Order: sequence, then C-alpha cells, then structure tokens
Amino acid sequence: MKKIAFAVALAFAATGTLAQEKTIKIAGFGAKSGVVRGFGINSEAAMLAAADQINKAGGVMLADGSKAKFAVEFLDDRCTAEEGISVIRRIAGTDAVVAVGPTCSNVAEPLFGILQKKVDDKGDSGLQMPVFTDVAIKVGLAKISEWAFRNVPNEITMYSSLFYWLKQKHPEMKTVFGGVEEDFAHSRATWYVVMKDRATANGYTIAGETKWLLADTNFATQVREMKKANADIVAISAHPFSTCGVLKEMQRQGVKPKLLVGLTSTSTLETMQGCAKQAEGMMIPTSFAPVTKEGKSASEATAKFKGAADLHSMAAWENMFILKQVMESEKISGKKDAASVQADRRKIRDGLAKLKVTKGLLGETKRTDDREADKPYLFVQAKGGNWTVLHNPL
Amino acid sequence: MLDLLQSTSDGILFGATYALIGIGFTLVFGVMHKLNLSYAAASVGGAYCGLLVLKVFAGAPPLAVFFCAFLAGGLLGYVVYLACFHFIPISNPLATLMATVGMLLLIDEVIVHQTDGMPLNYPAMFDDVMLRAGEFTLRGDLLMVFVVSILCMAGLLALLYRTRLGLATRAVSQQTVAAQLCGIRVGQVNAMTFVVTGLLGGIAGAMIGASVGTLSPLLTTPLTVKGLIVTVIGGLGSIPGAIIAGLLVGGFESVLQQYRGVTERDLYVMLLLFVFLVFRPGGLFAPKGGRD
Repeated sequence: MKKIAFAVALAFAATGTLAQEKTIKIAGFGAKSGVVRGFGINSEAAMLAAADQINKAGGVMLADGSKAKFAVEFLDDRCTAEEGISVIRRIAGTDAVVAVGPTCSNVAEPLFGILQKKVDDKGDSGLQMPVFTDVAIKVGLAKISEWAFRNVPNEITMYSSLFYWLKQKHPEMKTVFGGVEEDFAHSRATWYVVMKDRATANGYTIAGETKWLLADTNFATQVREMKKANADIVAISAHPFSTCGVLKEMQRQGVKPKLLVGLTSTSTLETMQGCAKQAEGMMIPTSFAPVTKEGKSASEATAKFKGAADLHSMAAWENMFILKQVMESEKISGKKDAASVQADRRKIRDGLAKLKVTKGLLGETKRTDDREADKPYLFVQAKGGNWTVLHNPL
Repeated sequence: MLDLLQSTSDGILFGATYALIGIGFTLVFGVMHKLNLSYAAASVGGAYCGLLVLKVFAGAPPLAVFFCAFLAGGLLGYVVYLACFHFIPISNPLATLMATVGMLLLIDEVIVHQTDGMPLNYPAMFDDVMLRAGEFTLRGDLLMVFVVSILCMAGLLALLYRTRLGLATRAVSQQTVAAQLCGIRVGQVNAMTFVVTGLLGGIAGAMIGASVGTLSPLLTTPLTVKGLIVTVIGGLGSIPGAIIAGLLVGGFESVLQQYRGVTERDLYVMLLLFVFLVFRPGGLFAPKGGRD
C-alpha cells in the first residue's frame, strides 16, 4: 500500500515538473523616478503588454521545440549613470537573457561603456550582456559597444527632413531661435548637434539661443532674449516640464513666433496635460503615431497596463517582438544554468547584429551597421489637446 | 539698464517665495535650535494637497486651492513634528536632522507615486495680467504672489509679537528652561510652531505653484537648498533676516542669470553663501544669544 502511494505521489510530482511553465526572462530598466519617470512607466507598460500578447499566442519557441513564456522584470535606474550601471550588473547576475533600456542618454552612454567593446576580445573584461535600447536617443551611442543595440529614431534624419519641409512650405521664414535645456544629455545634444546644424544646413539663420536647466521654474530672462531675437521659428529642445514652463512664460510676455518646433520626447501626453493651450501648433518629428492598425492595437494594449503610447514606449513594444523573432531564429535553449544563459545572450546578440530589417509599428525599420535603427517617421502637431499627424514625409 | 531693472524686479518678486520658505526654516531653528530639512518638501506637498479641491469641485476658484494648501501645510507640519521631533530625544540633534531628511525623501516619493511624476497644472490669479511701463513689465501673478507673501510675513510677525502664542514662542526660543519654569508648555509651543510654519509653507508651496504654473516633484530639492541658503544668509533664527535674504537671493539669482547665463547662476548663489559664511557667519541679522 505504501509502495503504491509512493508511486502515485512520484507520478504526480513528475507530472507537475513536466507541466511547469518555461520562462525566458527579459529585464527592462529605465527611469521610474525623477522628472522623466513617465517614460520608464510607459516603457514598462509596453513591455508587459507585448509580453502578454506574445504569451497569449503561445510564447517563444526554444531550440528543443518547446515553448516558453516571456517574464518581464523592470528595474528603476533613477536616470542616473551610477544606478544604471549598478542595475545592469545586477541584471547580468540573473538569468535574464537580454536587457531593454535605458530611458536616459546620460545613463546609456556610460552604461554602454562598461560592456565589452568588441565581441570575442579576450583582453576586454567588459560585461557581455546584450542591451536593446528603447528610449535613450542621443545620437551615435550604440557604436560604443558591440553588445549595444538601439531601436530609436535618428534625430538627424528627422529634423533634417522637418526643416527641409518647413523651408519648402514656408519659404518666407528665415530665422530660428533655439531654447535648450542645458543639463540633460538628450536635449543638449539635440539642439547643438542636430537642430542647430540641420536648420543651418537647410538655409535658416540661427538668430540666437537661450538656455535653462531641467528643474528651472523662472524663464523670464530667457523668454526676453527670445522676444528680442524675434525669430520666425522658435525651436525648443527641452523635456515636457521645462517646455511647458517656457511656453507659459512666452504666453505671458506675448512672444508668438510664426512656428514652434519641439523635441522628440515632448510629443507625449505629459506635454498635453501640462500645457496643451500654450503648445498649440508645436511641430515635432516622431517615430510613432497610432495611424496603423498595429499601432492602434499596441496603443490600446499598453493602456490596459496603465501606460501611454509614444515614440519611446512603442519602441519598447517593438523590441519585444524583435527579440522573439531573434530568439526563435537563433534557437536559444532557454535553460537556466549560467553557461546556457550566457550562450543564449551571445546568440541574441549575434541575432540582433544580423538583422537588416525589422517590423515596426509605422512600417519597416532598417537596421544599420552600427547597430542603430533607421525608423520611419512623421510630423505631428499639437492641436486641441492632442498630437495629430501633420505630414508623412515618407 | 532696462534688463538689469527687469531682472532685479522679477527676481525680487519671485524671491518672496524663497523668503517664505526661509522663514519656515528659521522659525523652527529659532524655537528648537534644530533644522527641519523636510520643510520645503512639506510645502510642496501642501500645495499638491490643495489640488484635491479641484478633484472634488472641478471649477473651484484658485483661492479655494490656496486655502486648502494652507490647511494641508499646517497638517503636514504637525505630522512632521510628531514623526521627526516629538518622540526623538532633544539631546540627539543628529537624529532629528536625519529624521527630517528621511521625511523629505518620503514626501518626495509619495508625491512621485501619487502623481506618477507628472507635473500638474496649478491655478494662478492674474496670470493674464501684465503691467507695463514702456518696455518694463511686471507680471500680475508674481505681484500677487509677492503681496500674499508679504501679508503672510506680516501676519506671522503679528502672531509672534501680538499674541500669547507668539510670546510663548519667543520665550521658548530665548530660554527654554526659564519658559518651562514660567509654566509654558514647551511641547505644545513646539507643536504649534510646526503648525504655524506648516501653514506658511502651504501658502509658500501654493504661491510657487501659482507663479510657475505647474507643480512638480522636481521643485522639492531646489527649494530646500534655496531655503537653507536664505536661512543662513538671513541669520539662523531671524525672521526679518529670512525676509531680506529671500528677496536678496531671488534678485541676485535673476540678475546673475541675465549676465552670466543659467549654467553659472547657481555657482554665484553658492559663492554668495560662502562669502556670508566666511565674513558674516551669523548672517545679516544674527539674533542675540540667550542667557544659557
């Protein structure tokens, strides 16, 4: 009797083990605190929504033919380099096969710096962890390491196209004045390296520039400078909080440029919630708007996980599906021992490196040799409290 | 010349909010000889609580929001007193300081979690009014903030010099032991000090929100730093000092931004602090010491 009972118990245990779900862990990381917390929250929501959709469709196929579900864990890097590096080291110590993040360019740059620069370089003890960035958008970061990949739009291409289009549409406009958030890597680089350069290249004269800091609350001096310059176009390279502060001060001082151009990261819900009236008419190039069936569906799915769809969070969504594709094509094992996890990481890295084209929510995205993305984009404009599509240049 | 005049006037008007924050720091220090580092965070927290009025009554006037912030600030002030001062031995100054640091971080985190870190629009009065004299302009909302701040300061001074509570507060700040011997309940006075400074802080937070147009958790750290600078420059424990220093720091900051740019502005404000610490460590109006 005891032997029968033991055999039955053993059979149940074996069944339980067999039925245990296989999981593939994907670690997300980004700013879940601080001024850009919204971006981290939205990326997490998009990753969870994408994982949910993938899992409901059966999950990802492993090398042995079985299927595994995605398990997403999102960590807060507080938008600081020290915390970001600490987080990626922590992720590398787990069984996560890939990391999606970070939010901030000031985190991405030093973080990519601690990854192994060249694959198979035995003299480089850098971290061997594939990082697939969804948000950090400062130009040219992925070339820092062969383990770094980005699915972010190319701001040089987008702003070049925008200023070219504006020149065609409004040839009477000659001057651009820049407002720049000086202490944030993305906004700073975008004005000095992208907007200013591309505006000049398209025949505009830079009438001047003024600066402020991310946490500034008084923009009277800066807006007075803007008023004196009296440029046709005012380009504001700043995130939503200070953008709204400047726009409100512009309204108070009666500064009304003919056109307003904003930073990619400002084409979000946060700007509309903060200063829809003052931002009316602002134009921004973006790599996401819910204009396709897939885009609308991704947007709705993300909303169910309490996130908003914008160019950054939807890149996180796209990353999940790209990773599924790569994992299946490279036949990862999904095993949890350290050697297998590292082998899977290497396969994912190699798979991402091989990609020439991926499927995006706005259309096909080309992958470049330096592990960046050449994403389709369009121009949106703030109208009646929403970002509406102004022009599709492609 | 016009730029100088404009920067100075804008800075002084905005500096009234720094003065209110500085008064809160200095009043607590004057009474308890301890710093409450969570004061600016509690002020911003009070301002956020003011927005609850708009959740209940969507079209509520700005005055209702300011009043709610005023009351919430007072309540938060009392909570800070209970959590960081009442139960911690007075003989351990570091413990209360660290407790207030913890409270600052806690309030910040609560704000971030409740609002998802998103800036929220804050109502203002006279924000569409600009008084002009040629090229020189004065913002209507900043003028209102300045006037409200001055009225609050006057109210506080009246409370301190014309009421029994004020008398008791001054007695405790000068000579705690003697005040106790005279029958003044020191614990009660301390608690009321925190409530009064909290009420002031709530108004300060509301005025800052009104002048900026939005409230954000980003405001807590810079306000804490500015409040401390104003307190030190004005003289620890001196209310007139905090008022003058607040206006001075606001004006100085604005003028430096005009001529040296935003990247150097804070550098010079810190240099101003160091100059005072080296040449006049007691501040502008160093209060006379007690008999102990």
